[in-house]
Amino acid sequence: MKDEPRVGVFVCHCGTNIGGVVDVPEVVEYAKTLPYVVYADRNLYTCSEEGLNNIRDTIKEYNLNRVVVASCTPRTHEPLFRVACQEGGLNPYLFEMANIREHCSWVHHDSKEATEKAKDIVRMAVARSLWLEPQEEPELEIKDSSLVIGGGISGLVAAISLADQGFKVYLVEKEAELGGLVRQLYKLYPTLEDTSEILNPHIEEAKNHRNIEVHTSTTIKDIEGYVGNFHVTAIKNKEQIEFDVGTIIVATGAWNYHPPEGNFQYGVLDGVMTQLELEELLKEGKLERPEIIVMIQCVGSRVGEIWSYELVGLFHSQATRLLSKILGARGSEEGWAYCSKICCMNAIKNAILIKEQFPESEVTILYQDLRTYKEYEDFYRRARKLEVRFLKYIYEIPPEISEAPGNKLRVSFYDPFAGEEMSIICDKVALSTPLIPSKDGILLAKKLKIPLDQNGFLMEAHVKLRPIDTQIEGIFLAGTAAGPKDISESIVSAKAAAARASILMGNKVIKTEALTAVVNQDLCIGCGLCEELCPYGAHIVKDGKSTVIEALCKGCGVCVVACPQKAISAKHYTDDQILAAVKNAFTEQLT
Amino acid sequence: MSVGYEPKILGFLCNWCSYAGADLAGVSRFEYPPNARVIRVMCSGRVDPVHILEGFKSGADGVLVTGCHPGDCHYVSGNFSTERRVEIMKKVVNKIGIDPERIRLEWVSASEGRKYAELVKEYTDSIRKLGPFPLNEISDLLDAAIGAFGSERVRWLMNKQLEEIEPEKAENVIITSIEREIERYQLFQILEKGNSTVSEMAKQTNLPSDVIVQHLIALMKQGTAAITAEAEHEYIYTLSR
Ligand SMILES: Cc1cc2nc3c(=O)[nH]c(=O)nc-3n(C[C@H](O)[C@H](O)[C@H](O)COP(=O)(O)OP(=O)(O)OC[C@H]3O[C@@H](n4cnc5c(N)ncnc54)[C@H](O)[C@@H]3O)c2cc1C
Ligand code: SF4
Ligand code: SF4
Ligand code: SF4
Ligand code: FES
Repeated sequence: MKDEPRVGVFVCHCGTNIGGVVDVPEVVEYAKTLPYVVYADRNLYTCSEEGLNNIRDTIKEYNLNRVVVASCTPRTHEPLFRVACQEGGLNPYLFEMANIREHCSWVHHDSKEATEKAKDIVRMAVARSLWLEPQEEPELEIKDSSLVIGGGISGLVAAISLADQGFKVYLVEKEAELGGLVRQLYKLYPTLEDTSEILNPHIEEAKNHRNIEVHTSTTIKDIEGYVGNFHVTAIKNKEQIEFDVGTIIVATGAWNYHPPEGNFQYGVLDGVMTQLELEELLKEGKLERPEIIVMIQCVGSRVGEIWSYELVGLFHSQATRLLSKILGARGSEEGWAYCSKICCMNAIKNAILIKEQFPESEVTILYQDLRTYKEYEDFYRRARKLEVRFLKYIYEIPPEISEAPGNKLRVSFYDPFAGEEMSIICDKVALSTPLIPSKDGILLAKKLKIPLDQNGFLMEAHVKLRPIDTQIEGIFLAGTAAGPKDISESIVSAKAAAARASILMGNKVIKTEALTAVVNQDLCIGCGLCEELCPYGAHIVKDGKSTVIEALCKGCGVCVVACPQKAISAKHYTDDQILAAVKNAFTEQLT
Repeated sequence: MSVGYEPKILGFLCNWCSYAGADLAGVSRFEYPPNARVIRVMCSGRVDPVHILEGFKSGADGVLVTGCHPGDCHYVSGNFSTERRVEIMKKVVNKIGIDPERIRLEWVSASEGRKYAELVKEYTDSIRKLGPFPLNEISDLLDAAIGAFGSERVRWLMNKQLEEIEPEKAENVIITSIEREIERYQLFQILEKGNSTVSEMAKQTNLPSDVIVQHLIALMKQGTAAITAEAEHEYIYTLSR
């Protein structure tokens, strides 16, 4: 306590909400007995104009340097009272609330007990207030340029959308060509137009846009800094390039799963291929005559364990585990637990393409459940009209593939509707495999400290309320980097990401969290524990000392409790402040 | 209510879920016993084991820590840290004579007003059955534990991810190490009051002499304690500062 505290306590009746149960005058009298309290009185409604004026005037009249309002919950009324304090000339963080309504008068009926509890709550608040310190909310400038990582359809759309708004965009693609996975495809569901019709205009527009700098054959080496001020180092054809941006959009896409060799005879028997490989054959015109083709759905998806919640967001062990899973032949027999949601439509697409080219072909789709959501139901009906056969197999008895005479393949499976074993002799088997997290995505996530979700995709800040955002301020997700999507969904997310980034850049400055952690550099030994634990990458250990990047810290306090040297403190939630409340919870121990 | 003992509960509530849940209990007028005094923290991950132990020292009979459900923490993973810390802590305090039920971690979301009200009621009843916290009996041990949980070694152990070791083994290592640290703090506290010998310390702490000697050697290596004299075939140890 630097200055001698002069505390003013305002106890609220809240009409009869508090006053009807708690003996407010008694609480006021009690507050007056507490050390450093120089003023205590009551209001009928403290949040009324009259009540707020009373706070403003009393601060001046009594030269208060701490204000405690005993009323309702700080979650709704703290901002209002803080403003009143500020208008009265007091730093708004020298204000403390005692919740004697939600936590007291509304939940206890016995007036005597409630009054005693209210006194305790007021005492705790006064005790804590003695240790409060003024805080500032720093402002931060946001550079009006953006980095888009990944030049697939999502990255292209996001880049164009930002560039059209006048922001400078650096579009970085590690391959020599733009276009991503879509470039490998032949025609697109549900319209069956050529990929080039969708892709080429976007690629041309990005390349020729005056606000976009396209860097192909370029990888990200390092990203330093934080929202508004990221410094990017990239390697382009072995040469280093550097630039600064205010925001980042991650559009690194996803990989298509390859089954390990031998799984469904993949890589063993000729004629067994993934849907992507089948589509490449179609694209190159290598399907030359009518054939019998069997497609198997959910190969490598909707199997295996769904990871327990404990792994969600906990980055380190998870990333290691995922990487090894992906690097093993881009997957393992374990497979992936989620539904990749593009494979059903994609199989139907290829089936239609084949039937339309060679109506005498026989195409069978073996599925567990067929998921043709939204308008794709029409697409499914179209396939049925073309006499594509849909047969069901069950998860427990996956289809088996073997050689058949005459260079053919035999697919044997159990049909639960017929209740018997069936087999089909065919020319080709196409395996519908999922979109899976990419190695590049995971490595980048690690670099940017973006947590992964339970499937290994980059995690959005909140599934329901904050999609597109990441946990790291100023970094947004577009496309399949965040999970399986088809092209229209990827484009929606890319435009959303561009909108989120442009809000930040359009505002030019943001107010950052006042309640951050601070490191006492004299005590810090650079052990790195804080850096490991912080969910926002706000601790940077350099030269044996940790520093908190205030723009990133959200003030959770996790690092404060962990630091072995007790070198970190949380503004507005210091040990002294918390312990003052603890020590006064049951008896008076004001110091 | 019958005359007699009313338990005192100290609650730590995270701002985003549990405090909001408690607010909702109020808005919904769910009545519950008035035994709890609560402290709002931004995240349950801000609750320091030392705060919990200081709670007992300040008169709490039970400490209730509440946070967002796993996966819902406003700060992504704060509550996982809390869970780990509280789990370890409960096992350690059990060994020094504090019933682990006196520390309780629960998840309460912003919509679980009823759960919060019932939790306070149920926990108050549970602590009522346990009776008052044995503050007088174990106050020295409690002080030693406060020292230990604030120490560099224990904070490291409680928070470092030990990926190389199997989780169960790791937990055993952590718990025994913390116990040792508490013993060391017990000796430290005795020496803080004045010079002492191994047999005196054994009497005061009920620790075996060989354990005490080991700790003293460690303290001497650190430069915290030293032998300053000899009396009746025993060394006299002093705190060196
Ligand atoms: C077999 C198959 C068929 C499909 N058919 C259809 C269809 O018919 N219709 C439809 O709507 N959708 C279809 N899809 C889905 C479609 O492919 C995706 O929606 C689309 O590719 C998503 O685009 P994206 O830009 O998000 O990712 P991607 O297309 O994967 O692009 C990501 C880009 O980022 C680059 N990159 C990755 N990491 C880095 C890095 N660290 N630095 C720089 N660059 C990086 C990659 O090289 C790539 O160019 C199909 C998918 C599959 C697997
Ligand atoms: S300040 Fe809160 S408690 Fe007081 S009148 Fe307003 S709403 Fe009611
Ligand atoms: S945990 Fe503490 S001592 Fe270790 S690096 Fe962070 S601030 Fe420094
Ligand atoms: S308080 Fe939380 S967000 Fe801030 S540096 Fe510490 S762990 Fe990170
Ligand atoms: S914010 Fe509620 S537990 Fe972290």
